[in-house]
Amino acid sequence: MAEAKGRTTGLVARPLWRTGKQIVRTLILGRPNTVLYPHHKLDLPLGYRGKHVVDFKRCIGCGNCVTICPNDCMWLEKLEDPELGKIERPGIDFGRCLFCGLCVEVCPTAAIHETVEFELADHERQKLRSGPKELRDDTYADKIPEERPKRSLPVLDLSKCTGCEKCAEECPEICIAMMPIEKVERSKPEITLAKCTSCGKCVAACSEQALTMMDVYDSYFDMPEPKLKLAECTGCGACARACPADAIYMLEMPGTEKVLKDGKKGKPKKRAVFVLEKCVGCGRCFRACRFHAIDMPGVRK
Amino acid sequence: MNLYEFSYGIIHWLVDLVNHLWYWLGDWLPWALGDFFTAVGDFAASDGHLSVMTMLLETLIIVIVALINVLNFLWIFRKLSGRILDFYGPYYVGYRIGGWLQNLADGMKLFVKEIIVPAKADKVGFLLAPIIYVGSSLLILATIPFSENFGLSTNPSGEYVPAGALFAIAAFAIAPFTILLAGWSSNNKYTLIGGMRSAAQMMSYEIPLLLTVASVFLLAGSFNFVDIVDMQHDIWFAIPLFIGFVVFLVCLMAEVEIIPFDLPEAEAELVEGWTTEYGGMRFGLFYMTTAVRSYAGGALATALFLGGWHGPSFIPDEIWFLIKAYLVFTVFMWVTWSLPRVRIDQMLGIGWKRLLPLAVLNLFIAAVVKSAGWV
Repeated sequence: MAEAKGRTTGLVARPLWRTGKQIVRTLILGRPNTVLYPHHKLDLPLGYRGKHVVDFKRCIGCGNCVTICPNDCMWLEKLEDPELGKIERPGIDFGRCLFCGLCVEVCPTAAIHETVEFELADHERQKLRSGPKELRDDTYADKIPEERPKRSLPVLDLSKCTGCEKCAEECPEICIAMMPIEKVERSKPEITLAKCTSCGKCVAACSEQALTMMDVYDSYFDMPEPKLKLAECTGCGACARACPADAIYMLEMPGTEKVLKDGKKGKPKKRAVFVLEKCVGCGRCFRACRFHAIDMPGVRK
Repeated sequence: MNLYEFSYGIIHWLVDLVNHLWYWLGDWLPWALGDFFTAVGDFAASDGHLSVMTMLLETLIIVIVALINVLNFLWIFRKLSGRILDFYGPYYVGYRIGGWLQNLADGMKLFVKEIIVPAKADKVGFLLAPIIYVGSSLLILATIPFSENFGLSTNPSGEYVPAGALFAIAAFAIAPFTILLAGWSSNNKYTLIGGMRSAAQMMSYEIPLLLTVASVFLLAGSFNFVDIVDMQHDIWFAIPLFIGFVVFLVCLMAEVEIIPFDLPEAEAELVEGWTTEYGGMRFGLFYMTTAVRSYAGGALATALFLGGWHGPSFIPDEIWFLIKAYLVFTVFMWVTWSLPRVRIDQMLGIGWKRLLPLAVLNLFIAAVVKSAGWV
């Protein structure tokens, strides 16, 4: 009692004054702060991690989200779409999803997003599995503001490239180098993306329209890069068919034509050429190659 | 028509109705059996039986009214605590009437729960304590009239129990004994500490409480509620005896054991205090009884200090009384959700060093006012 001497009245009166104001605020002037949840819904922020939506038009079906999912709750499903043809798109098992958002961050085309929808409970475990069709929302990604940093970069279409070196001459930052492709007797422009300033002069210089400026999202993750062991490559083209980003081109190697019995020359052997600027690091070429010709450290078979 | 006459009329009508049967049986049956039924009818119509039944009916009416009020009080308790703590309080059960039915739903849920007696508890004491606690708390309401016409009386003239106020205060003070009994018989250290605290707390608040009540008795010159309220026709006792009123309210909160003074329960320190071992409907009864005691406390404060049922006549007397009691209860709730719990070592200091001198000063003021003839 001694230490509270002289302050006792204030110790009683101040809390009473505070709660008195609270009563006036919640009972007479307004309402309590609490949101009556099932009737009124809280305005959730944009970064809220709820149910995912997949933009089918942006998604390239690379499966990076499936690979990175720490709970293994995603899978790729083969679909037949009237608009997009034969595609592969991810599905999510919300019973196991921990809403970490890694799939959203790893997506190279920002096709997958987490919405504020969180009422996902169901009576059956099986109904928590959402296939790609349930996740599809092609308009969501365009409605919300972009959060991922992206850059406008020149992207090479190697099938149109003639190796004329005009782009390398035009580049003010000297970030385009013509690199010879082994055994193909051609060279292709390789762009050092770190130095590129998105000026677009190389695109303007290209007479074949092999270079186009495209929006590329920055990746937060280390991307594994495929490496070709040329001695093992048979030129079957399985990797090029598997690549979701069309970064692999099959080029003919002159001088490897077999002489047929009738003396004519046959078709030359082919080899795979990677355009690493387009690669999303998914490892599908590595998995598709049956001759162990592609090496990709850090990717599961 | 007062409550006694009203009840007497109902009882008389009922007895007449049933006596038709008894006398008809008495006429119709053979001699010995017939005489028996005639005697039953005569007994039922006798004055003693009628007045006893009348008083029982009065008690029933008062208890029912009290319990309905208790539901209101619980609702106010929960709603106001919610609003003070920035949430809504009861909402869905009885949506149209502000969640009023929530307490009925909770009571129904508590009714179906099992009654568990701890294996090492003293069974008699454990089961007896809640009965005495609830019974004594309802007993407080017996002598508190709502108006000159609404209260427990023993004769048709409407005279209430002499020394009714004294009786109410005495009934109020039974509870610490039952709390001690419950705490001891539960055979649990928390309940025992709670029970002991209740007894220790009683030491501190009971003396200032009775001294302030004594000042009211001094001014009114009577122990009777009706006389005390009639004396306040011109001026409420709360105005000359303002210090006493404040001391009385503080002591009343200690008596009711709501939060600044809920040392026997003290859920932060003692789990649930003396009610730790009580579950199911017994817990519900304690919950209800706290509201009964708050209601009785509000009624006491109204009758002794706030002019009872006096007020502008466009509202009936009984309603005036209830409005004042509800207001006192609301102030209780306001204090409850504002102040932290008093520590057990501070309790005696507050009671004897702070409240007791104020109560004596208040008694002195009452004596001065009375001898000067101002009231």
